[in-house]
Amino acid sequence: MRLLFFNLLRKPLRTGLTVFGVGVALLLFCFLETVLVAFNVGVTMSDASRLVVQHKESIVFQLPMSYRSRIEQVEGVTGVAGASWFGALSQEPASNGATREEFFAQFATDIERYLAIYPELTIPVEQRRNLLGDQMGCLLGAKIAERLGKKVGDRLVLRSTIWTQKNGSPIWEFNVRAIYTTDSPTFDQTIMLFPWKRFDEARQFGGGSAGLYLAKVADANRSAAIAARIDALFENSPHETRTMTEKAFNLQFVGMMGSFQLLLRSIGSAIVLTMLLVSANTMMMSARERTREMGILKAIGFSDGHVFLLLIGEALTISLFGALAGIGPAWLVANVLHFNPKPDFFPVFYLPNESMLAAAGLAALTGFASGIVPAVAGMRLKATEALRSV
Amino acid sequence: MKPEPLPVRQAFQPDFAGAMRVKPQPIIEFRCVSKTYHKGGSDIHPLDELSLTIDQGDFVALMGPSGSGKTTLLNLLGGLDTPSAGEVVVCGQNLEDLSSRELARWRCDHVAYVFQAYNLLPVLTAYQNVELPLTLLPLSRRERREHTVKALEIVGLADRMHHRPDELSGGQEQRVAIARALATDPRILLADEPTGDLDAHSAEEIMELLVALNRDYGKTIIVVTHDPKVAHRAHRELHLDKGVLTKDVDVTYGRT
Repeated sequence: MRLLFFNLLRKPLRTGLTVFGVGVALLLFCFLETVLVAFNVGVTMSDASRLVVQHKESIVFQLPMSYRSRIEQVEGVTGVAGASWFGALSQEPASNGATREEFFAQFATDIERYLAIYPELTIPVEQRRNLLGDQMGCLLGAKIAERLGKKVGDRLVLRSTIWTQKNGSPIWEFNVRAIYTTDSPTFDQTIMLFPWKRFDEARQFGGGSAGLYLAKVADANRSAAIAARIDALFENSPHETRTMTEKAFNLQFVGMMGSFQLLLRSIGSAIVLTMLLVSANTMMMSARERTREMGILKAIGFSDGHVFLLLIGEALTISLFGALAGIGPAWLVANVLHFNPKPDFFPVFYLPNESMLAAAGLAALTGFASGIVPAVAGMRLKATEALRSV
Repeated sequence: MKPEPLPVRQAFQPDFAGAMRVKPQPIIEFRCVSKTYHKGGSDIHPLDELSLTIDQGDFVALMGPSGSGKTTLLNLLGGLDTPSAGEVVVCGQNLEDLSSRELARWRCDHVAYVFQAYNLLPVLTAYQNVELPLTLLPLSRRERREHTVKALEIVGLADRMHHRPDELSGGQEQRVAIARALATDPRILLADEPTGDLDAHSAEEIMELLVALNRDYGKTIIVVTHDPKVAHRAHRELHLDKGVLTKDVDVTYGRT
């Protein structure tokens, strides 16, 4: 073991640069994984026992309000809430006198019903009571509240890009009545909810319709059958539906980013390949320089297996330090310091344990792959030939 | 004053005293050994049906022109190479019967090499170089330290134990190499031109050391050399030419 470390320190600059190279590659890999997780956050927060009912043609078409009670009557459905995408930008005065606009997700919904479908949301009892009692109130996720600098009791002004009020104004005002948190690291905490009744009464057009319905089912295993039954209910009506699991619904949006994700995956693969080549090159050079020493080790009693373990151990050690140098900072930045380079674009910026394990696995694989060729060559090397080498 | 035995193999006491040896036992036997290499489309025969016996505690000088098979003989003797035909029996063990792994362990226990180019590992200190073969044995850290220091004391380099090879002179490096060879207390020392890279004074010191190891610690020593002065320090001179033993001289007897 000591010889292994001495060999690694033989050329500290070269070893250091290799560790640095592997570390940077793994840091980039972790960052890409974090971005991909952010893209897929809607999918990861999905629950198999939740269904989404949308218009059969497209999500942009509305469904009648009467559908809620009819969906509720389908056997196996335990709760339904209608929701409409609000599509607004916050209006906050900036220091230069202009208006600062922030984009985030807002839905008009029957909040009580919604919260029954999403038990992941944690709201203090007092705030919940105030929220349900104020038609001008709204519920903010903890992260968006922090980003907007809002706390309970503050006013929030939004400019909707879709919905205008009956007086023609796109500006909507709300009272922040509650802020939700959640224990799940992948659950979106940048959503705003506000009462459906206020939305439906105040909007200039589209009254009596909802963008989609969220349905909770008692048995997730029966989701497909229930979805089919809901769609059958509205077959041949002017507003036919397409019901799918929440995951499938969210995957529609992720699918729109498919090519971009493929690009990111390709970059990730190129990084790993580069890392492998850098590490392999170092190991080969290092082993080649020490051919004679392999012969010496064998002459003084080291077995072929010892030489193999020494060389593969060196490669794995470089990878191990590279993994620490890459995964450590990524974990620190994303999970401890909670750095988010684009909070309005990535509602969740989080490096999951699985990604860290994958990076560690890649490091181990790289170490093994880069060390196996010199290690086998060293193992097979005949001591007499090695001792003749210069 | 009687020298202290090496600590690893206590049973192997210095019970020989030069010409006063009694009942010598063969420790090395070459039985009709041939070695053939294939190189550049033709066969090379560095050893050709060589038969040879070397007794325990002997000090043998192996001489001959370049390409006569001296180094090949040394390699076969330590199990670094295998014969194309014949048998090599060392310390009662037919080396052909051992697997590669067993051979490595056997080598660690029974023979040790000293090379012309010293062959110390440059990243390790003198102490660490000497300790290296001991890491293969089931010894505690304390025992390893005892044996390492003892070996370095025998070669007179205990005060330089924390120096790296590039901080030592050629003669000192070779003495560290000898200490490394002694560390596991092997019965046989195989030295391939150990004075070849040294000046006359250092060469004389190294030969004195080898003579002392043979005389005081009973090590069987085989030295490959081109130097008649070195060969003359041995008990026996073996001359090889084209893989054949051409002369076998008992120098001790001759001197006597």
